[in-house]
Amino acid sequence: MNAAEVVNTLLVKRFGVDPVDVTDETSLQHLRMDSLALEELRLLIEDRLDIDLDEVALTSRDTVGALVAAVDGKVAA
Amino acid sequence: MTARTPFAAAVTGVGLVTAAGVGAKATWHTVTGETTPVGVRHRPELTDLPCDFMYGVDDLDTTEVLGVATQRLMDRFAQLAVVAAREAMADAGLDPGTWDGTRVAVVIGSAHGGLPFYEEQHTALLERGARRVSPKLAPLTVVNSAASSVAMDLGAQGPSLGVATACSSGTVALGTAHQLLRSGACDIAVAGGAESVCSRLLIASACQMKAVSTRRDDPAAACRPFDADRDGFVIGEGAGLLVLERPEHARARGATVRARVAGYGASSDAYAAVAPDPEGRGIERALRAALADAGVGPREIGHVNAHGTSTVVNDRIEAAMLRRVLGDDALVTSTKAMTGHTLGAAGGIETALTVLALESQLVPPTANLDTPDPRIPLEIVRGAARPAPFDWAAKTSLGFGGHNAALVLTRA
Repeated sequence: MNAAEVVNTLLVKRFGVDPVDVTDETSLQHLRMDSLALEELRLLIEDRLDIDLDEVALTSRDTVGALVAAVDGKVAA
Repeated sequence: MTARTPFAAAVTGVGLVTAAGVGAKATWHTVTGETTPVGVRHRPELTDLPCDFMYGVDDLDTTEVLGVATQRLMDRFAQLAVVAAREAMADAGLDPGTWDGTRVAVVIGSAHGGLPFYEEQHTALLERGARRVSPKLAPLTVVNSAASSVAMDLGAQGPSLGVATACSSGTVALGTAHQLLRSGACDIAVAGGAESVCSRLLIASACQMKAVSTRRDDPAAACRPFDADRDGFVIGEGAGLLVLERPEHARARGATVRARVAGYGASSDAYAAVAPDPEGRGIERALRAALADAGVGPREIGHVNAHGTSTVVNDRIEAAMLRRVLGDDALVTSTKAMTGHTLGAAGGIETALTVLALESQLVPPTANLDTPDPRIPLEIVRGAARPAPFDWAAKTSLGFGGHNAALVLTRA
């Protein structure tokens, strides 16, 4: 499963986001992902992909696409 | 003592989620119709403990009912509270879309809050390190999170609080709601208790304390309040919430009033961390205070849903106290053999059952009471549910630490 699939699956299965709302351009805020939810999502992604996102700075104003790109960067590294 | 003007809050909604059933009707049907418990079983989380069983709510898919987005921000005790609150609201005919939310209070008792999540996260800390600990620990585990979750779910913006007085929390929550309504701080209060502690840590400790039954070969017979062969309580999960209203508010909107909460009394033993006052003087003061608050004489009480935990000490002390205060005419029962001891939820669940008993003029039996304890000076209702005419009823609760509480209810 690639980064986009992992992120999308987690958003839907673990955060109850409607799959039709998840596009690269959607802001995390729009998906009701507040700072607490983002920290929880960070842990879940790290576990799934065995990566460390500690240095990745993300806020609710970022988009799903930006999150996927950040995760991809860590997977590639 | 200054006499207070009597205040009888209208009970306009009932919500119950218990091991005896999901919903007030299902729970009442089991509690009055079955002779042996249905919701108690061995739990894998408790394997190898002297008490490896508990009462669980198995017929509820919280994910389906609440949805992932709502459920993920609550530990199970708060989820059960929200399910019960929605039922109580629907029963009351209240629509959160149309009310003035600032006049709606939420008061929910719980003894242990999100203890299972604490336990899970502590395991994560020890096994996987600090960076694997969930950021949700505090918001999910605080005792008040049942109240805040219900407030958010309903849009209730009045006073909202969690009550923690161990096993009397639900009763104290209802008493506190009664006082909030009486003071004019709100028009509506959603109140009661919620608990879910299928926790290996907690039950291991309860076993060490010798507080819980160790009847592992027959869990369905383990909780047997007032029975000569009782050997401790059995923990259960659940939630019981009432919608209480100022009487004029209920009247103005034409609500169906199911019963009334007429009096509340509370006291502290100031005696011991676990054991109740040996003579039950604390719970006696609470019950007498509730009677005085309601302005009713002790002989008027026709039915008591007792704390009746199935521990050797509680049942003996409580029964002697009830006999001393009320005489021997009241029909006393304990419904814990059907629901388990739901700790902080017990007062909410059992007050809800008292409302249903008043309404249907039917007293549930004490299941598993096969051999009445000769040291208990009261005839406890057992066998079949007993029809009886009664206008007044009482609910008593005792909590570790000596927190006593009593409510007096009357027919609508």
